[in-house]
Amino acid sequence: MAGRCEDIPGVEWVKGTGEFIRVVPELCDGCARCVRVCLGDCYEISAKKALVRSLERCMKCAACWYVCPRDAIVFSWPRGGTGFRTDWG
Amino acid sequence: MDGYDVIVVGAGFGSPVAARKCAEAGLRTLMLERSARVGEKVISGLTIPFYGFLFGPDFIRDGNLPIERPVDGIINYIIKDIDSGDMEIDDSLRVPKPLSPVIAFGYNAYCRPFCQWEAEKALEAGAELRTSTTVTDLLREGGRVTGVLTDAGEEIGARLVIDAEGSQGLLAVKAGVREKYPPEVISLADVYDYRMDKEDVDRILGYSLRFCWGWDEQKIAPPLGHGNGLMVWPYRESVHFCQDQCLRMDGGEVPNLRGCFQEYHGNITSKLPWWRDDEAPRAEMRAHMWEGFEIFVGLDARLREMPSCTDGMILIGDAAGLEGTELCDGVPAAWFSAEIAAEVAIEALRAGDVSRDFLRRYEDRIRDHPIIQWSISATNRYNLRFAQEHHDLAELRKYVHDGWGLGSFAHVSTPLLKMILRTLQKDPNIITSWIRMFFRYHYNWLHERYDYSEGKEPPARGDRGRSKLSQILFRKTLEAMDLSARMLSPFIRITARALEPLSVLANPTMKVLLPVVEMLFKGFARLEPATEPLSRKLVEFIRNADPEIFDQPRRKG
Repeated sequence: MAGRCEDIPGVEWVKGTGEFIRVVPELCDGCARCVRVCLGDCYEISAKKALVRSLERCMKCAACWYVCPRDAIVFSWPRGGTGFRTDWG
Repeated sequence: MDGYDVIVVGAGFGSPVAARKCAEAGLRTLMLERSARVGEKVISGLTIPFYGFLFGPDFIRDGNLPIERPVDGIINYIIKDIDSGDMEIDDSLRVPKPLSPVIAFGYNAYCRPFCQWEAEKALEAGAELRTSTTVTDLLREGGRVTGVLTDAGEEIGARLVIDAEGSQGLLAVKAGVREKYPPEVISLADVYDYRMDKEDVDRILGYSLRFCWGWDEQKIAPPLGHGNGLMVWPYRESVHFCQDQCLRMDGGEVPNLRGCFQEYHGNITSKLPWWRDDEAPRAEMRAHMWEGFEIFVGLDARLREMPSCTDGMILIGDAAGLEGTELCDGVPAAWFSAEIAAEVAIEALRAGDVSRDFLRRYEDRIRDHPIIQWSISATNRYNLRFAQEHHDLAELRKYVHDGWGLGSFAHVSTPLLKMILRTLQKDPNIITSWIRMFFRYHYNWLHERYDYSEGKEPPARGDRGRSKLSQILFRKTLEAMDLSARMLSPFIRITARALEPLSVLANPTMKVLLPVVEMLFKGFARLEPATEPLSRKLVEFIRNADPEIFDQPRRKG
């Protein structure tokens, strides 16, 4: 099943990808680096912890994974393939 | 374990090269790709520089690829004041006419058709491909990699795994072969694709890449002081636009990238005169994408020395940290490393030894590859941060000129010359292959011809007949060159071998001669009123030629 986001043209987003990125709350100190680097607006801070709000617009760039200073982000590939597709890369 | 000889994880730019070579050697080879169709997740603004084609795999050099546009040079804009339009231009790095645009600096391409083209070539050679298959882990026996585990829970055995997973390198990190990269070596690229009429791209951008550099306060590209810029690539009927930002700025601060990219993209499109006046009225945004890539791994000695192989596994391309630092050109290094990995894989499987000790020869050959080593260790892009820090215009001009202007000759001459001499030792006839390649690529660009595509109709026979004499002359000249190279091949090999050690002198010599070279190139530019008609004639000759004269099979010397 695929869909589109109005503000991100040219990309099809595939649903049913599972929680391929998750935050380990015990390790997260709420520094919000992940929020600042995420172009898909996937994160928010709640109760001083990062929270994956939605992975619907995640392009798997792994920027959040790279910038986390406490290794609190677990990054893996989405279930069922790439989670998005485009003809214009 | 029953399974494959070689499994290649991923099907981007590098993996089909490795898969094809392994399959040609009779190895049972499987490519595993996460996406449903090859290449549909690969994101880039993409110029593949000429050296990738000259020194890369034969099947690419001698093939008919899906090219979007040849590139003949770079126009650098050094932006001093975006609001008043005050900027300097450095367009010194340009193939002079009449050679341009046929002899190209590089070729632009969309990733999806290009990766598909490469994958088809691997399939033709007998490799297998499974798409929609994610490799989630490696199988290991006593520490040796013996295959892969897929997201469907399937275990697939292999005598050797070639990991072409891309820059994140999750498998290698998970297996403890490599570390996760620190954010200071990663850049996040924010990429846009704009649809434009071909006539407008021809007229406004032509065959030039456009790079923009400016002070932080101009807010034209993400903070330049941290090794970033803005690049615009002309394609056939579209324009690609990429701004990128390192994931850690000096002092450990992490920028608000979403806001930063949005603001700077807005500034470019509304304030930069040539975009605002020429592009904006004609360009329609078609796609917005982003991707992280490991741009500065080669500048960090500890990261550069991380293993690229382990017992039963070799890493190639971005998975081995081989992104180019200045042109962000990962494709040539992916091709080179894929070929070397396949060679070593074939040797290892023939010897029945896939131990790290045996596979270490892969790392040795990567370290010995002049173009790979130059491309991952060039420092001008990184050095831009110092110009920013000092707010020194002369310093900024110098780094731009040395990185993306004629000053680059003082850095790239040695690796290029060394590769030319090494290639001549293997194949003294290579020069004619290169000439045919440039001409064939240009024919293919003009006629939208590439393998697995019908392409456009070639010109009518009458037009082709008009240039018959010149076609005969072209063919006969190349045949004479081939014959001479065959007759002289022992001499060419010996001479190239003897000269190779002297190639280290090319950079310092070019540094001394640079003022002369600069004057020569300025002279070429002044001669353009005379050379431009010749350039057009050359293009018309190619347009109307029978493509077979560019396709002639080459006999090995």
